[in-house]
Amino acid sequence: MSDTEIANPPATPETTGTTPVTARRSTAARVAPLIGWAVLLLVLFLTPVYVPGEWLSVLCWIMAGGVAAMGLTMLIGQAGQFSLGQAFFLLLGGVTYTVLAADGDAEYIGFGLPPLVALIGTIIISGLAGAAFAPISGRLRGIYLGVASLSLVFLGYYLSHELPMLAGSASSGRYAPTFSVPGFDFGETNPQLLLLNVPMGAAERQFWLFAGLTVIAYLVGQGAMKGRVGRGWRAVRDNEAVATVMGVSVPGEKAKAFAISSAYGGLAGVMVVWWYSGLMKPDEAVELGTYSTYTTIALLAMCVIGGLGSLGGAIAGSALVFGLPLALPLLTGSNQTVDASGTAFTPIVITNLVFGILIVLIVLFEPRGLAGLGTRLRNLIRR
Amino acid sequence: MSTDTRNVQPLRVEGVTVRFGGIVAVNDVSFTVQPRTIHALIGPNGAGKSSCFNAITGIYTPASGQVRLGETVLTGTPPHKIARQGIGRAFQNLALIGTSSVLDNVMLGRYSLTKGQFMAYGMRLPWTMRQERAHQDRAAEICDYMGLSHRLHTPAGALSYGEQKRVDLARALCVEPTVLMLDEPAAGMNSSETAMMAALIHDLRDDLGISVLLVEHDMSLVMGIADRITVLDFGRRIADDVPAVIQRDPEVIKAYLGGAPDESGESAEAAAISSEETSA
Repeated sequence: MSDTEIANPPATPETTGTTPVTARRSTAARVAPLIGWAVLLLVLFLTPVYVPGEWLSVLCWIMAGGVAAMGLTMLIGQAGQFSLGQAFFLLLGGVTYTVLAADGDAEYIGFGLPPLVALIGTIIISGLAGAAFAPISGRLRGIYLGVASLSLVFLGYYLSHELPMLAGSASSGRYAPTFSVPGFDFGETNPQLLLLNVPMGAAERQFWLFAGLTVIAYLVGQGAMKGRVGRGWRAVRDNEAVATVMGVSVPGEKAKAFAISSAYGGLAGVMVVWWYSGLMKPDEAVELGTYSTYTTIALLAMCVIGGLGSLGGAIAGSALVFGLPLALPLLTGSNQTVDASGTAFTPIVITNLVFGILIVLIVLFEPRGLAGLGTRLRNLIRR
Repeated sequence: MSTDTRNVQPLRVEGVTVRFGGIVAVNDVSFTVQPRTIHALIGPNGAGKSSCFNAITGIYTPASGQVRLGETVLTGTPPHKIARQGIGRAFQNLALIGTSSVLDNVMLGRYSLTKGQFMAYGMRLPWTMRQERAHQDRAAEICDYMGLSHRLHTPAGALSYGEQKRVDLARALCVEPTVLMLDEPAAGMNSSETAMMAALIHDLRDDLGISVLLVEHDMSLVMGIADRITVLDFGRRIADDVPAVIQRDPEVIKAYLGGAPDESGESAEAAAISSEETSA
């Protein structure tokens, strides 16, 4: 029992062999995901050929909601910050893109920038706006932060009505250009491009655009969450003292998480404007509409249904919450989304019932949401 | 685990006082953790040991006094930058992320040694991927040393208590510390597990050549491996010496026996001290 030695010389190295320590994944295990992605991209590329336009529109709406929900699910599920403000960032993104990309005239302010520049500018500005919320998001947590962020939705509603020269009037709105890059216009209505003898018009091109953006948003988010950034966020979520001691700046990462989530919201906002064929129109009421408290809750519902923190889950959640109200009329053959011939069970009512029931079931039986179900299913198959 | 010759500096706590409103949790405490020694911080419950730990790691800001590592003043440094100075800390209450894998938990320790923000990782830039692999290899090596190599991809929450303790320790080691701070490493362990933990801490010091600062209630562990012991009581330092002297210190014995000898935890420790004394 040595208790008086003050400066022990370092002992001889105890080498534990030279075997590679992280078991490198086999070639098959590394190639399989690549093949999976290649197949997915091919399917997405060919989808517009086989799927009719009205269904493409449903898929695009799901993807717009999915991108917004991906940002939110990273914020809530990974960084542990509750937010009810995502609809505000949809509005902000939509308005910013419109102002940057549309031409200005006597009634509206516009800069007429190329759409790609406007898109990137919108994502950056939305992120900065989220970061500007940091003094509040860093001081509040849980339900208090949720309520504070909910106020953003009301703020957005108020500002959009006060500043019609930016956001367009609530009665008629204003128009933003559709997306185009030199040599390819995504809003082309008189298409010369044929793919397997199917003309690729605006709906088909919009699907490609939305699918591309969603895949990029997913891959970027997934890469960050698997690596250093995600680890830092999860540490902040679970134990701030541990995070600090391990070298994570807790206020800094909280602000960044909010900024990233808002940037996703802003991108989704641009997609929403495109989906409405470029129409940017503020809501007529704060509790119902595209950028309303209803939407903000719907986005939260997507995250919970999909499984908090899961990016794939967010898209699956969006398929239910944003997809069902549009898909049900198509399935039943009725072409009305609001009124279904005298019955009280309109698609919206049915959707609300479905996702209400789903949330209750998920909280009770599978708190990890659809993502958790997916994991279970995969484990079943592997056995 | 490969030994590197780390530049281990003495950790000096100089007259540190921590206040919460009117309560003085740590009162003008000074001690020095000499390089490559195992230094124990003991004292009855509420003596200020954990507050002292938090003051060193920057979680609490001392009202006065300072903490220095070699020539670097840690007090006043933003707390998240202290890890980078070579301070690794394991926690008392298993602060692991239960749903994340062991490797992911341990990799958190590499946070301060790695770079790269959201977009760099999101776009999987080649240098971030290379960095990630290199650091995962080192983290896995440390896990291997801790006997966790078969658990790398298991969710941390699914591990036994003893294994989780080792994950926590592995995470602290991943900081590549020169001073390893352990908050009650043997809490909740039986006597044979405690003995193994004691041997492990001793080996760590010898193999890595680092200093260890530990808070522990188990007197057999403390008296067995500590090179020096600082005793706190009501936030004050009442003794600071080698174990053989501490065991005979009348003020230490009084602090442990206290005015309420029936209190379970304290009397057990006092008994442990006196039994160590008789055996010594």
